[in-house]
Amino acid sequence: MEWVEATGNTIEQAKEAALDLLSVVEDDAEFVILNEPKTGLFGRIKAEARVQARVRPVMPPPKRGGRRRPEKKRDGVDRAKSNPGMAEGQVRETGGAEGNGDNAETNESSSAPRKRSRNRSRNGNGSQKSGEGKSSERKQGQREESMEESLTLEQQGEQAREFLLGLVSEFGLEAEVSIDQVDDETVRVAATGNDLGLLVGPKGATLAAVQDLTRTFVQRQSESRTDRILVDVGGYREKRVAALKRFTESVCEEVRSTGEERSLEPMSPADRKVVHDTANEIEGVNTRSAGLEPSRYVVIAPGE
Amino acid sequence: MDDVEVDDVDGNRIEGGTSLAVANYLVRSLAADPDSVVIDTEEKRGGVLLKVHVAPEDMGRIIGRRGRVAQAIRTVVAAAGARDGVQASVDIVDD
Repeated sequence: MEWVEATGNTIEQAKEAALDLLSVVEDDAEFVILNEPKTGLFGRIKAEARVQARVRPVMPPPKRGGRRRPEKKRDGVDRAKSNPGMAEGQVRETGGAEGNGDNAETNESSSAPRKRSRNRSRNGNGSQKSGEGKSSERKQGQREESMEESLTLEQQGEQAREFLLGLVSEFGLEAEVSIDQVDDETVRVAATGNDLGLLVGPKGATLAAVQDLTRTFVQRQSESRTDRILVDVGGYREKRVAALKRFTESVCEEVRSTGEERSLEPMSPADRKVVHDTANEIEGVNTRSAGLEPSRYVVIAPGE
Repeated sequence: MDDVEVDDVDGNRIEGGTSLAVANYLVRSLAADPDSVVIDTEEKRGGVLLKVHVAPEDMGRIIGRRGRVAQAIRTVVAAAGARDGVQASVDIVDD
């Protein structure tokens, strides 16, 4: 599994940048912190935070339910009352005082012990701090229930497509959404249609948000980790990458002929990667990144 | 055309119906408890404020780590507002 490196003023920023490069949500990535940021006098940044990240590998299998949030808890009231430190009497008292809406709960006080034990097992499922022992059997059962939701890459693509189609229609627009398996662990969903520019936004900002939400949505449908999900609208990404490649090639040509290095405008980590990758295929130029996120930029210099 | 406009209780047309529809769709899709999702609208000068209420255990999901999910929702909802020529902002209300 390939590792990427990213930098930022803070560890958090560096992680965000790495996630952009990896095209996954944070839960599906693992990080190695290479450098803590160092600040000098008056908050001047002396050294950037550097992290290395990769998509969390499938093997070994993740501890099921270990870090997972409890699935589909519906009853907020119920949960609030499951506070383990609360005596039963207090629970009933609180419920009674609030009166409205809580009545259903309060009236069931005869079944309170059973309910409380169920609650505790739920709590344990969530925090992994309590509820071991007696309730573990039940926990196991719940976990299996939610485990059946692991999705294949194909299903993830399908989920992403559904989500995107729904979103487009809420916008009052129409689009076709294609699913395209890029490799074993990457799927691209691409919406095409008229007037989709609104979903791309200035410099692709809205598209970035749509992609983020799509990944989050798919990740929440799946108990296991999800793969890379790329979202495109109106061919924006494809065009952008193609344009960036052409631009990079022309700058490389210029640097080679003049022998002078050129600094490009600040770009996102993903865009910088395109520039680096394109330039690295061209003889006679070197690239490096300079500046601090979010104004980090690529410098193309003459070289071997 | 049967333009789908959301009506409020008084039967007035709500400015920025698209932003409300989109906000509703996004929040419901991401919540574990979609039935508890309620969005109130408040008209502001030049725009609409969408106040999102979710089940307490869904707060974290809708906000996301460092507010990442909430920020993405705001961006997309703002784009939806632009479709109606309205500035749409989103408040996720802790209640």
